[in-house]
Amino acid sequence: MRRTYEEINEKIKKGDAVVMTAEEVIGVVERDGIDEATKEVDVVTTGTFGAMCSSGAFLNFGHSEPPIKMTKVWLNDVPAYSGLAAVDAYIGATEPREDGNIDYGGANVIEDLIAGKPVRLRATAFGTDCYPRREIDTFISLATLNQAYMYNPRNSYQNYGVATNSSERTLFTYMGKLLPKYGNATYSSAGQLSPLLNDPHLRTIGIGTRIFLGGGQGYVAWEGTQYRTTATERNGVPTGASRSLAVVGDLRGMSTEFVRALDFQKYGPSLGVGIGVPIPILDEDMMKCVSVRDDQIFAPILDYAVQSRNRKPMKEVSYAELRSGSVELAGKRVRTSSLSSYFKAKQIAETLKRQMLKGEFLLTRPVAMLPAERAQMPLDLHSREEVA
Amino acid sequence: MPIRKFELTFDPDIVSEPITYRIVKDYDIMINILRAEIDDQGGRLMIAFEGSGPQILKAVKYLEENGVQVQELKEFIRKDDTLCTNCGMCVSICPVQAYQVDNKTWKVIFLNEKCIACGMCLDACPPGAIKLRAQI
Repeated sequence: MRRTYEEINEKIKKGDAVVMTAEEVIGVVERDGIDEATKEVDVVTTGTFGAMCSSGAFLNFGHSEPPIKMTKVWLNDVPAYSGLAAVDAYIGATEPREDGNIDYGGANVIEDLIAGKPVRLRATAFGTDCYPRREIDTFISLATLNQAYMYNPRNSYQNYGVATNSSERTLFTYMGKLLPKYGNATYSSAGQLSPLLNDPHLRTIGIGTRIFLGGGQGYVAWEGTQYRTTATERNGVPTGASRSLAVVGDLRGMSTEFVRALDFQKYGPSLGVGIGVPIPILDEDMMKCVSVRDDQIFAPILDYAVQSRNRKPMKEVSYAELRSGSVELAGKRVRTSSLSSYFKAKQIAETLKRQMLKGEFLLTRPVAMLPAERAQMPLDLHSREEVA
Repeated sequence: MPIRKFELTFDPDIVSEPITYRIVKDYDIMINILRAEIDDQGGRLMIAFEGSGPQILKAVKYLEENGVQVQELKEFIRKDDTLCTNCGMCVSICPVQAYQVDNKTWKVIFLNEKCIACGMCLDACPPGAIKLRAQI
């Protein structure tokens, strides 16, 4: 059977749509089969909440009297990029405070803004005829900003490697604290609930897709950075890091429940972002995609003691194994930790489902699709001639 | 048999006394040394006593009479559930599995009675939900 976006939206508006989370639909497919489940269900909701380092927000402060063209900007002593017109800035999530104290950074500024807290703004300028002022030191909050929107260049990674540590010392990484001699292994995907694992070739997710972002509504803006389609697949889904999304959404309407500053010891700040994407069940193929289970999704285990971009996978394990609490590795049971919160992923998928059942969240057909083929290039040292 | 955890602080002059031996031999207490440190300030021992209520009391009295400062460890770590995102990073860090994921609710639960006050989780929690009780 076939369904269109328009048909589903009509049902959502009337309150007649059948919406399920990507976890709930697994049971329906097991019970009734793909064909019946396709007839039954209109939309499947997904969710993920994890550390998404490539995140940040554009802010417009408004013009001071006399006006200033800010060249350097600090928000609570965290540098923000302001090489954009006069009073625009971009605050990046992983930017640490300038005083060397890395446990407060851009992610904290963003969380503080969403929480409605006052944030100290300092800026300097060289002064121009049109912008004579050379410095400003004041307080702002979400209420005083003209625009404040998150623009995250790389979120919601489609799968990711599992981290472990073969060395003799504890490693502090963006994959968390890794104990020596394979003392633990950490992973970071919502697996069967994760948005891009439920639509692995992005048939329904593209530019303009409306999503749940940080508690509010946002949109897919572009392909995420490091987007690649070349990862090997198992059971129709990539094993390891693959596609990703660039997303955009207003900070107003977001909640600190779904946007949280995270502090990775000796690595620095990162932003915990909650994302949910509704997937329309257009036909049997889509239903087959969303019925993917944790035991069918695999990720490579990588040794972070190898300080190289070319880490050889030690083995592949399924999310069902990872979630069981331990995996077999180097001849022993190694305990596992999730870095992304399955609890919050479920909460997001359920919230999105509720919003659709109430008619508050409608589907959008992508304005343009994301690339079907894209390889990821490394950064190597080149001469001017080699890159010309 | 009840288990109670204590932090024992010694002056340098009694570090050489075989105190744990006496507790086992004279008071019939099963001990589990959780942590032990000795430096120029003296010694510090985190220890769990398993025995009857009166036996433990007698052992504590013996320690105090011999110049050992005894402080019961009721709560060393506190997980702030308003900050916890229930990710589960702490779960594989804890050597005694005091953090567990409830696989019905997917919440991370802290079991205070299992905690041995090692402190390994303190620098592992990304949202900063785990703190020393003394710092709260």
